[in-house]
Amino acid sequence: MAAGTGERPQRQLRAALLLAAGMVTGVAVAAAPATHAEWGANGGDDGNNGWDNDWEDNGWDDDPWGDEEAGGLPFELSGFAELAGGYRTRDHELFDKRYHLAEARLRLEARGDWRRFDYRVRADAVADGVTDELRGELREARLSFPVGERLDMRLGRQVLAWGTGDLLFINDLFPKDFQSFLTGRDEDYLQGPSDAVRGTWYGEQVTLDLVWTPLFAPDTYPEGERLSYFNPRSGEQVVDRLRAEEPDDFPNDGELAAQLRTRIGGTELAGYFYRGFFPQPGSVTEADRLTHGRLNAFGASLRDRLGPGIVNAEIGYYHSVDYDSSAPQRAPNSEARLLLGYTWEAITHLDVGLQYYVEWLQEYDELKAAWQGDENLDNAQEDDYRPDEFRHLLTARLTYSMWRDNLTASLFTFYSPSDNDYYLRPSLRYRASDALTYSLGGNFFGGDHAHTFFGQFTEDSNLYARLRYRF
Amino acid sequence: MAHETKTPWVSLSLTLALAAATATATATASDHNHEPNHDRDVMEIVERANLAAYYAGADGRSEARMRIVDARERTQTRQFTILRKDVEEGGKQHYLVVFSRPSEFRGVAFLVEKRPGDDDDRWLYLPDQDLERRIAPGDKRTSFVGSHVFYEDVSGRDIQDDEYELLEVTDDRYKIRATPKEPGSVEFAAYTMWVDRETYLPMTTEYEDAAGSVYRRMESSQVEIIDGHPTPLRMRMEDHNMGGYTEVQFRGQEYDLGIPASVFSQRSLRNPPREWLGR
Repeated sequence: MAAGTGERPQRQLRAALLLAAGMVTGVAVAAAPATHAEWGANGGDDGNNGWDNDWEDNGWDDDPWGDEEAGGLPFELSGFAELAGGYRTRDHELFDKRYHLAEARLRLEARGDWRRFDYRVRADAVADGVTDELRGELREARLSFPVGERLDMRLGRQVLAWGTGDLLFINDLFPKDFQSFLTGRDEDYLQGPSDAVRGTWYGEQVTLDLVWTPLFAPDTYPEGERLSYFNPRSGEQVVDRLRAEEPDDFPNDGELAAQLRTRIGGTELAGYFYRGFFPQPGSVTEADRLTHGRLNAFGASLRDRLGPGIVNAEIGYYHSVDYDSSAPQRAPNSEARLLLGYTWEAITHLDVGLQYYVEWLQEYDELKAAWQGDENLDNAQEDDYRPDEFRHLLTARLTYSMWRDNLTASLFTFYSPSDNDYYLRPSLRYRASDALTYSLGGNFFGGDHAHTFFGQFTEDSNLYARLRYRF
Repeated sequence: MAHETKTPWVSLSLTLALAAATATATATASDHNHEPNHDRDVMEIVERANLAAYYAGADGRSEARMRIVDARERTQTRQFTILRKDVEEGGKQHYLVVFSRPSEFRGVAFLVEKRPGDDDDRWLYLPDQDLERRIAPGDKRTSFVGSHVFYEDVSGRDIQDDEYELLEVTDDRYKIRATPKEPGSVEFAAYTMWVDRETYLPMTTEYEDAAGSVYRRMESSQVEIIDGHPTPLRMRMEDHNMGGYTEVQFRGQEYDLGIPASVFSQRSLRNPPREWLGR
């Protein structure tokens, strides 16, 4: 093969073209086809059927392998710049601004290792046009290292996740950022960071995860900044800040989470334990302030291959520690939760995921009696706003990918037959290059009632667009 | 750059090692239309080709990078390291694939338990979300991480899924035509592969549609002997249906490293095993 001939000029031409084309667009210009000797006399019969056998040796060789382009830094640096904008599709009388998402974000990620230690720091600088502020968000700052042969430690700010649900969480009680999720930020931001110590012990048969979060971290839930919510006391949609009291007494107000996993053939089994607080406020302090009630949770999950897909099942019991039968409205009911799911490729390139999920209030008779006896509520409010004993939820995820996965269309649907409300999450993602990604999507809510979980956000339905440039 | 490196002594040792098989196949080829054991013999070549391409050594590691060029000549890159361990020769295998490039894929890891004749078990780890996702078996003939290469090209197509016919034996290649036993399950109507008679590596594979025209073509090149195993250092996949092509370049191959089975576990998804991934 005449691999060497013409290589140098080609390389220079290519470099010049790349510069001229401007790499900001993320579109690289390939070199003109090289004229190589015919490839492999035995392959492809004679004439090669018009196939282009150009290997384009030029370009490969001056292109370093990824790990060789550190550029003199003691760590690797990457990140992205992102512009995101979102717009309410309905005229919301409680907000001055029609847009609920307007931000420029710069992410920097540094990582490296020293001996058996790995570290990773990820931080965002955000210019936010909704809150009119500049802020920094430290998403991750963690150190990982093994201890002996079987134990891996991870210390610091980190993103944590476990369990089997798809956008539904039973035993994963790590902080969630629903505000980001519902307003159109990248789905990554649904998982909030924890300041925690995680130890994972890998035994012969089982894996044990223990996570200690010294100070409780709540969910970021809609509380009037970008999303309104329904107040059953006033019977109105409001944007008043909830300002719930957060348990912050160190070390008593920490969280402990554990997962014990095993695999039997293709079947993954796990048991879970959590000791901490309800991630969203549902209790009232003695001073009548909203706060997070104490929570102990126990659960189990199963995941396996079944037929053409993956089946998952998860159960959990939420024990509301502070619950007192004599004052049922001052703390959340204990709950049992169940999730069943199935995911498969229905046709080539189309993935379908279906889930059934239910929340079951355990002391419902007491709750009902308390609502009925509440002098602050009139009969209509009492009937309308009182939660049901069971909240059923069905979800469907449809994902279709085209152009070698560079274009992905997705629709995630939540529908509750008991609340009779819904949440539609369509999205379209186009990966124009390794650097540039465009995303377009919406969050559409609706339902029969103004007070239900998704129904309350009807006026907050929105469309968003994002443009992300990675480096 | 040295292509198709074959030093004489290597050719000799391979010829000796494979003498019996080569002789059989050559004899078959000369009068294969009349040979009653023809099916068994072509199966033997196919089995050897499968072993040469996917089961070299008891385990192996390789760094790979892909240059994905679409129909409009726009380029994307992937870089990853593959670790492999055979559970049984020609049968079950474990794969761990850890990505390093581009930045969107950095730290993404696949764990695959391949079971010929059955669906594979596959896990995907997404480091940004610390999420370990299990992937439904699905169509294996779809793009692997956005390239023109299919999942099935990476881990091997089950040789029991096709019928084979030895069409021709040239000085250095077997020309074999394969037709799927279940035509509805794949996008091709047939494929033809040219298997090197010394190394048993499939050097060229051409996929035809129902009209008989070739729309997809895989070529391996730059074969070098590494730890005694002939190993292509380059692969190119061109696909007219998708438009464009993907070039794959390998480096750092090693075989028979004694990679422990524990490396192919969920632990490696979250904490990639540096001592086996690095060089």
